[in-house]
Amino acid sequence: MLREILIIVIKKFIHQFASPKTYFYQVNRLYPWLLYISLSIYVFAIIWGLFFTPKDFVQGHSYRIIYFHVPASFIAQSLYAAMAISSAVFLIWRVKLAAYLARSIAPVGAMVTFIALASGSIWGIPTWGTWWEWDARITSTLILFIMYLGLISLHNSFNNFDKADKLFSYLSIIGFVQIPIIKKSVDWWSSLHQPASITISDKPSIDPSMLYPLFMAMIGFAGLVACIVILSSKVQIYIREKNKNWVKDYV
Amino acid sequence: MELLLILKNEALKLVKKTRAWLGPILIFILIMVAFPLTVELTSNNLSDAFYPVLFISILLVMMLATEDIFLEDYEDGTLELFFISEKSLSQWVFLKIFMHWLFIGVPISLLGAFFNIGANNDLASSLMLFPALLIATYIFLILFCFGNSLSLTKGSVLGTLITLPLTLPILVVLGKLNTAIIFNISYFEFLILLFGILSIIIFAFPAIISRIIKTHLE
Repeated sequence: MLREILIIVIKKFIHQFASPKTYFYQVNRLYPWLLYISLSIYVFAIIWGLFFTPKDFVQGHSYRIIYFHVPASFIAQSLYAAMAISSAVFLIWRVKLAAYLARSIAPVGAMVTFIALASGSIWGIPTWGTWWEWDARITSTLILFIMYLGLISLHNSFNNFDKADKLFSYLSIIGFVQIPIIKKSVDWWSSLHQPASITISDKPSIDPSMLYPLFMAMIGFAGLVACIVILSSKVQIYIREKNKNWVKDYV
Repeated sequence: MELLLILKNEALKLVKKTRAWLGPILIFILIMVAFPLTVELTSNNLSDAFYPVLFISILLVMMLATEDIFLEDYEDGTLELFFISEKSLSQWVFLKIFMHWLFIGVPISLLGAFFNIGANNDLASSLMLFPALLIATYIFLILFCFGNSLSLTKGSVLGTLITLPLTLPILVVLGKLNTAIIFNISYFEFLILLFGILSIIIFAFPAIISRIIKTHLE
């Protein structure tokens, strides 16, 4: 009996929250909090990282771009995973909000991947002596960027949103195969890019004085990117639900 | 019996439409014949450049071979017929890809191994290369079919754009296999890896492609 009630409550909650209208009003309430907290954390982390951490023994001050590059690289891959999960939710349970979210993540993912590539290039000059190297990690990240652009072009080429969402979802799920390749590229191939410094299984190879601000930067950056995803998803909701009364009333 | 009929139909279609299978093979031959002209003719340079050129030209030729693989069936109503009837669309997709591979992938793999003898004067490496090319051509064919099914009515450029990133891991494995052949090390590991990839996608992708085609028809 209790189990059945729990299932009904969960279903009701999912059903309600999966409605674009509920999502829209909920994220409207969440957005300012998320923005200000994430911004404060990120600014604090950047100040800590730039001015209060020791300089690196080998790289000197140039390593400080880590507080920008590492969060961007990590979030670029995480966004793809989130997009693939949203796509799977859409295809399996036909939750249209999941399709809106997947579509709204794509341009943000492309932007963050570009930031990761650009900041990596800038970091490459003092450490490797080159802007670009056809190295496994860098090339696979570039492929991720192209994948994001391909997904956006595929969706944009169809006027029928339902069809576009389905095709977009199939491609994003299949494209997920790139993520473990990017992640493991530094281990599988001899690479100029250093191996992962922070892993789940091993102790981080970065000194705690540099590691803590890096963790904070990652949290702050993730929050800021989540804010952009919220804005992007609201745009998608405006476009898709423009004929609904609640959107007209809201506008 | 029905499977044989589909295979026969697809074979007949390809035989009648010579351009669809002979065109890619001829383009492959032209690339392989033309590339030595761009390299200074010392045997070292030629053999160094041979494998990358071979793999990239195979990739391009497979891209060309699948350019409008489903379009004609979409326009003449064959796909719609499958959609309405109880027949399995994924089975048809599987057989269609298989027939294309027989007509295009197998000859190109044979030619690739043959050109390798010309470039490297080494029969043993050609015999090692041949199964890898057979598998790689099939994988490329399936992946490009997937891309072209996504962009069925929107032209092959979009299909290629969205599929090309998916083929790059295969190219990386082929590159590793090439190194393994040259230095005579752990060649079978990469061949098994390619075979493993093929054994997954050979069954999974026809089902996915059929779902995508159904989306276009809905």
